[in-house]
Amino acid sequence: MLIEQELIERARTGDAGAFNQVVLAYRKRILGTISRLIGRPEDVEDVAQEVFVRLYYSLDQLRTAEVFEPWLYRLTVNAAYDYLRRVKRRSESRMADLSEHQVMMADSIAGGRQEDEERQRGKVREFMDALFRHVSEEDRLLLTLKEVEGLSLKELEAIYGAKENALKVRLFRARQRVLKAYSAAKEAGTL
Amino acid sequence: MTDGDYQLDGLFQRYRAACPDVDAGPNFMPTLWAKIENRRGFAFTFERLAKPLMTVLAAVCILLFVLNLTGVGQNNSPAASYTDALAADSSAERTYYTEAIRDDPSRFQAPVEFRHSRSR
Repeated sequence: MLIEQELIERARTGDAGAFNQVVLAYRKRILGTISRLIGRPEDVEDVAQEVFVRLYYSLDQLRTAEVFEPWLYRLTVNAAYDYLRRVKRRSESRMADLSEHQVMMADSIAGGRQEDEERQRGKVREFMDALFRHVSEEDRLLLTLKEVEGLSLKELEAIYGAKENALKVRLFRARQRVLKAYSAAKEAGTL
Repeated sequence: MTDGDYQLDGLFQRYRAACPDVDAGPNFMPTLWAKIENRRGFAFTFERLAKPLMTVLAAVCILLFVLNLTGVGQNNSPAASYTDALAADSSAERTYYTEAIRDDPSRFQAPVEFRHSRSR
């Protein structure tokens, strides 16, 4: 825990100062997690603020301060999920599969050309985004938390409130789908 | 683990590097509190309207219940049972009963031999 449980208890009773301190303590971590969950730096702050607004209005439902972190992660995952669904609705007209442009991006990633660092990062994000379109938003988030964030199955169990075996099966299937899409991109002669 | 699995793991690591931790901008906290206040305003308005609305709806429910009870008492006699309802139904009286009418009996007379035998 990044903060004392007593601070969470105070925030639960409506202490604005204590809530401010909670936000300041977790802000960086939540911003980082959201950045990896949604892959769009321009919208990270907006989603993070939504997480903390939801936290503010749901703190009274928190049973004990001990489960605060999984609770906060769950709010983060839910906010990221809502965001991804909104974005998906907006971009449904776009092609779902890897476009020629994305295949070219994959080529440049593999080729390791000396390009501008930020441009290169953007290409990696877009390529992963294209791969993640082969799984549902829920599976994308789960896979990202496990493979990119590096959360353990125990931590995921606490966040999702699901059995470890069920999570393993879901992770395996999601990973296989992403792997298949990745292999298809490779077979296209780009990687 | 296949070769593809290792490559995918590498790609996940590159994705992590491509999405570094983000520092919040200077307006993060003011905007957050503005959003909290904005939602509190909506929640407060909703709560303020919801309470009287609930009272009115509860009163309407009680009124309808009372009317229903008194209404059942009045309607007992005409349709107490299915047979009573059938008896009360006057639609059968309005049903037309049609039959062939012989307006000119001479056109339908029996053959002559029969007529004679009968007259005998």
